[in-house]
Amino acid sequence: MTSNITFTLDGREVAAAPGETIWDVAKREGNTLPHLCHVDKPGYRADGNCRACVVEIEGERTLAASCIRKPTGGMKVKTAGERSEKARAMVFELLAADMPARDDGPDNQSAFWDWTDRMGISVTDRLPSKFSPAEPGEHDISNPAIAVNLDACIACGACVRACREVQVNDVIGMGGRGHHSAPVFDIHDPMGLSTCVTCGECVQACPTGALYEKTLMDDDGRRRAVQAFDRAVDSVCPFCGVGCQTTVYVKDDRIVQVDGRDGPANENRLCVKGRFGFDYVHSPERLTKPLIRRDDAPKAADIDLTGVDPMTVFREATWEEALQRAAGGLAKVRDRDGPSAMAGFGSAKGSNEEAYLFQKLVRQGFGTNNVDHCTRLCHASSVAALLEGVGSGAVSAPFTDAMHADCIIVIGARPGQNHPVAATYFKQAAKRGKKLIIMDPRGQGLMRHASHALQFKPGTDVAMLNALLHVIVEEKLYDEQYVQANVSGFEALKEKVKDFPPEAMAEVCGIEAAVLRNVARTYATSERSIIFWGMGVSQHTHGTDNARCLIALALITGQVGRQGTGLHPLRGQNNVQGASDAGLIPMFYPDYKPVGAEDIRSKYEDVWGRPLDPQRGLTVVEIVDAIHEGTVKAMYIMGENPAMSDPDQLHARAAFAKLEHLVVQDIFLTETAWHADVVLPASAHAEKLGTYTNTNRQVQVGRPALPLPGEARQDWELIVELANSIGLDWSYGGVNEVYDEMAALMPSLGGIGWDKLVGEDSVTYPLSSKTGLSEWVIFGEGFPTADGKGKLVPADLLAPDEVPDADYPMVLTTGRLLEHWHTGAMTRRSDVLAELEPEGIAAMNPREIDRNGMEPGQMISIATRRGTIHARLRADREVADGMVFVPFCFNEAPANRLTNPQLDPFGKIPEFKFCAARVEALAAGREAAE
Amino acid sequence: MNKHVGSGRALRPGRGKGGKTPRGRQVDETALCEVRALLADRPRRRDLLIEFLHLIQDEYRCLSAAHLAALAAEMRLAQAEVYEVASFYDHFDVVREGETAPPPLTIRVCDSISCMMAGSDALIDGLKAGTDPAEIRVVHAPCMGRCDTAPAARIGDREVDHATVDMLLDMAVNGETGVNVPGYTGLEAYRADGGYALVEHVRNGKVSADELIAKLSDAGLRGLGGAGFPAGTKWKFVRSYAGPRLMTINGDEGEPGTFKDRWYLERDPHRTLEGAIVAAHAVEAERIYFYMRDEYPAVLEILRTEIAALEKAGVIDQGFIELRRGAGAYICGEESAMIESIEGKRGLPRHRPPYIAEVGLFGQPTLNHNVETLWWIRDIVEKGPEWFAGQGREGHPGMRSWSVSGRVREPGVKLAPAGVTVRELIDDYCGGMVDGHGFKAYLPGGASGGILPASMDDVPLDFGGRLAELNAFVGSHAVVVLSDRDSIRDVTRNLLEFFSHESCGQCTPCRGGTEKMVQLLKRDTLDEEALRDLEAVMRDASICGLGQAAPNPVNHLLTHFREDL
Repeated sequence: MTSNITFTLDGREVAAAPGETIWDVAKREGNTLPHLCHVDKPGYRADGNCRACVVEIEGERTLAASCIRKPTGGMKVKTAGERSEKARAMVFELLAADMPARDDGPDNQSAFWDWTDRMGISVTDRLPSKFSPAEPGEHDISNPAIAVNLDACIACGACVRACREVQVNDVIGMGGRGHHSAPVFDIHDPMGLSTCVTCGECVQACPTGALYEKTLMDDDGRRRAVQAFDRAVDSVCPFCGVGCQTTVYVKDDRIVQVDGRDGPANENRLCVKGRFGFDYVHSPERLTKPLIRRDDAPKAADIDLTGVDPMTVFREATWEEALQRAAGGLAKVRDRDGPSAMAGFGSAKGSNEEAYLFQKLVRQGFGTNNVDHCTRLCHASSVAALLEGVGSGAVSAPFTDAMHADCIIVIGARPGQNHPVAATYFKQAAKRGKKLIIMDPRGQGLMRHASHALQFKPGTDVAMLNALLHVIVEEKLYDEQYVQANVSGFEALKEKVKDFPPEAMAEVCGIEAAVLRNVARTYATSERSIIFWGMGVSQHTHGTDNARCLIALALITGQVGRQGTGLHPLRGQNNVQGASDAGLIPMFYPDYKPVGAEDIRSKYEDVWGRPLDPQRGLTVVEIVDAIHEGTVKAMYIMGENPAMSDPDQLHARAAFAKLEHLVVQDIFLTETAWHADVVLPASAHAEKLGTYTNTNRQVQVGRPALPLPGEARQDWELIVELANSIGLDWSYGGVNEVYDEMAALMPSLGGIGWDKLVGEDSVTYPLSSKTGLSEWVIFGEGFPTADGKGKLVPADLLAPDEVPDADYPMVLTTGRLLEHWHTGAMTRRSDVLAELEPEGIAAMNPREIDRNGMEPGQMISIATRRGTIHARLRADREVADGMVFVPFCFNEAPANRLTNPQLDPFGKIPEFKFCAARVEALAAGREAAE
Repeated sequence: MNKHVGSGRALRPGRGKGGKTPRGRQVDETALCEVRALLADRPRRRDLLIEFLHLIQDEYRCLSAAHLAALAAEMRLAQAEVYEVASFYDHFDVVREGETAPPPLTIRVCDSISCMMAGSDALIDGLKAGTDPAEIRVVHAPCMGRCDTAPAARIGDREVDHATVDMLLDMAVNGETGVNVPGYTGLEAYRADGGYALVEHVRNGKVSADELIAKLSDAGLRGLGGAGFPAGTKWKFVRSYAGPRLMTINGDEGEPGTFKDRWYLERDPHRTLEGAIVAAHAVEAERIYFYMRDEYPAVLEILRTEIAALEKAGVIDQGFIELRRGAGAYICGEESAMIESIEGKRGLPRHRPPYIAEVGLFGQPTLNHNVETLWWIRDIVEKGPEWFAGQGREGHPGMRSWSVSGRVREPGVKLAPAGVTVRELIDDYCGGMVDGHGFKAYLPGGASGGILPASMDDVPLDFGGRLAELNAFVGSHAVVVLSDRDSIRDVTRNLLEFFSHESCGQCTPCRGGTEKMVQLLKRDTLDEEALRDLEAVMRDASICGLGQAAPNPVNHLLTHFREDL
């Protein structure tokens, strides 16, 4: 351990901790020295290039940049004095000489101008600008969200570090030399045509506004137009499971800017959705009045309201009438046909409090466990395997632990697109020399950073993973002591994986045996190894088996329960962890307490004051089937869009059309709402208070930044209204009271009171029973299973349900795009995101496109046994030969019209990642008609 | 005000079409094949990026965006990482989609100080008038290290002395554009003369590292790249840090007025190579990286040949000396910038501390030496430190190689004692001033060392001492003699234009200061206060010596040559 050193700062003895710079110490001592290139935020390396922070060090010929200079014992440093002050002032004068006048520049409130104010520097014109009318600074507004005005650029490289070292998107470089040095995108391309993913980190880092949000600027993207905000609200991002903390800036009741905050999961970072995708809340398509289906508007599976006036199907109603109609229909079916005719889909996008109330309504009010949400379509198989193997469905360690790992496996996940901020940690770890192993049938940007990139044949996960287990067993790379103490079922696993030597599996999975052996050794023998996975693992009929293999890898090598190790299914939605925790699943009460367990049920019966359904309820796809079978007749769907997200979409939509009574509560008239009897306009994330639990088990607070539009109402209030209208007697004074009731029922939230949450903004559960501190890493001492041991469950090879054949020779796989969230209901209504990805696409390898005689950019049809869609063809080298990838967010090219609803037997998750398909070029005439 | 209309309309596709490809430039298969063919079986190491850019530039005479993107993909780098390096160096021509590639032949004309005085402007004008820009490109270039034969030029890969328009155009017509390697002492001849005996002695323990260090220290051998750091002390420092250690040879002789390293390498390259092998042995360096500037194609060819000969003769192991080619950037003569360049990056000087002796190439302790410093090692050991030290003037031990150019009758590399005066150099070594020119001023140390008036012709030229008191320095021992026909203001502007062109751009004082000084010096009336303020911030707050020394000529112009204002 290095200890503190003492040095003299402006005549006073001060101490510096190891690693601290003179600038750090001065700041700690209350003297923040001017700084431009130095971004004083987590993840930013000091660069010392702007020289705005120079100080005098006794005995040194020149001044030193305090931001990068570490003091040594006995050093005498002067931060004030004629020499250093003059040098600093000259630095500002030099930089200002090349800039437009303050009010003609992109940001008159930038850090640069702020420092000139604080230092009392008045800009003179004695130094000429390097720019001239003939050679002006570059002005680039090709990116939909960010304006580039290089006449304000001071070449400090903060954007380069933001892009390359913090986000590791590697788009910005410092091009040229000398006074021609300037940030460039790729090979000096216009930003909007470059590989830029528009995360906006560079904007947040830029000290001058040379890179700046267009939302704050005039139409030309040259000057700041929004001078003051009405309010700034600390909240959390509404999109993915990463759970980035944000500050939302509001002017005239519109969000004009979102910045990243220093949350535990994002350390100020955001992605394009979180930073620039906020404007969906302002969409003119927001529902602002309750709607009731017109008597003359029949329901149909193939109804399509795209471009249709919704008033031809619905009529506006008063809240009184709408609620009466909604509740009346639900109560009628329940009272007539019994609880099993009822079902509800809640949402992983809503808050914990909403999820809790929703499942309570279904269980207490409908009397059934038929309540589920889209976790079924994401990680149900992962959760099934985790509950079976380690007794808990949550992650064992946060994704930020990648920074503590020596070996990181990412399998069946594309965090660069779907968890962009989590991906920054993986890329940073790889940059520091940690082994990054990416396994995915599709190539991905992360592979560039990987030590091992395994592009295996789709659907062969178990073959590949069992081969890894085989090597670990054969070469005795497992942790015998750990296994003895903490694991059961090892002998059976050993026996099973004998049949999977890498030499035999190489042909099956398409990865050379030597590579498989190397990966197995790397994972097993690294001091700390951690596994991340996504829906490429879970969305298969063998999804649970895939996850079992991953769990086995961790258990037999003891790579779990310590910092930098563990199992982490990257959760998709912002609150999928929380919604599941809160009991929005048919088998469990809150905290995964089985509905079939007598003692648990009786506890809930006591609390909720009525007998509860002892049978596990139906899952998402099962409910759809039950509607077709005539069992389920009425539904309440809140914030969920199964008409887009469920497999075999026509089948699903036919079910919703068949319902006798459907109540949809949402912020938009979603594809699901097209089939509704009553539509209740509700609250967007930015309009409500609530807690959300991210993939790291961090419970965080979202706060309202905006008033509700029109007559829209808070979701939680609507659930309460409906509950009370179907015979319950609920009374909550506010969201906090809902939280209190929920937390009291959930041991996982023990010790985490509302006040603590609101005070800290983020609390990781569980709290240690001993210390009361958050346990970021769990399973340090065994597992919450009956015997305290992790259970190994061997997995067998199981082919995908539907394999390619002569009629359908291609493999269709589905997923997401960076810019679009889930079914696109929110993101496609964001201007920036819609401009970046405006329409439905299907991606194929350029070679495959050639072979099929197609042209990138043309319209093609993609057909499976369940349906046909049309999409624009994209040439993408990442897609393997023989595959076609279709994102499921585009309603004009809905991937789920094609997908196979075959379920994994344990997790009940459909096989979204694999089915047989056929592609055909569309004739030009047909294309014109698109 | 809320402006929600609440239409509840269903979602419709956004405007525009989805991209035909993922975002950004896609890798072109043909370009990728071409790049793979050029790289062949070379390891795709990041530090070889500049070497790979040379392969492409040499083959296709430019770097197309398609090739850059392909190279990035092949090396698993981002396009920006490749572009920012390519765009930093003068000798790479990046050609983006829609831009015109440079013509088949390029003539570079040196416009640095000695060549400017010898009429490079007229040469450039004449060439431009006499050539078709579609066939021949005529470009200004910084110092080519041929100041004694000014004006210098380079046509293709051929270096040309005393260049004239007619000569160059004839060469273009006759296709005389290949490397012209002068005669030099090859390995066989060098060995016959006792060469590499010292290497053997140090390897078999006859001469120990400590002995070597003592000899260098006694001889007073100092770093002759410009900084003058005692060589023996440097070896001690490097040896004090835990290995593995590396060694670099700085052959980026870019200081205007300097040509001694080229002079030695074009005549007796093995003397430097032997010195390097001895030095590497003394500090237990695992490998030597020889960084040679791209302005010296003949030297590069000599080194390529002779390093291979050393490997073949078994004097060194395969790959022990790795030749690295610069790409046109003066700043890479700064040792930490050179190290960055060897690592395949932009040549940005590093912050100190740490010094490269502790954290150098690839983060390892690194011994770096100038070509000439190493050149003396064999002689010092063979002839004894007293022999070397004794040749200097009182208080100025050692022999120095002076690159003298400008208005003297016999310019060239002059072997003269440390502490010699400019007057002696002119009269005793260079045959006096050119006819019709009166001695007016001199640059004691290239572009950076300042400008002193003839009245200070008695200053002993060496590191530190009186020169330092005059805010001047001897640096690489490049003495440029100016006459009464030269305007010091024009000279100053030329020097500052050089610095402005060669500033790496990393820090504000140097990047902005050099550029602003040039603009201010172009004005009719000088704003002396502004120039002095710029001088102060550049001297005090620049990261490296370039920015710190760049204002020297301005200071001296304003101090000693007020009549030229």
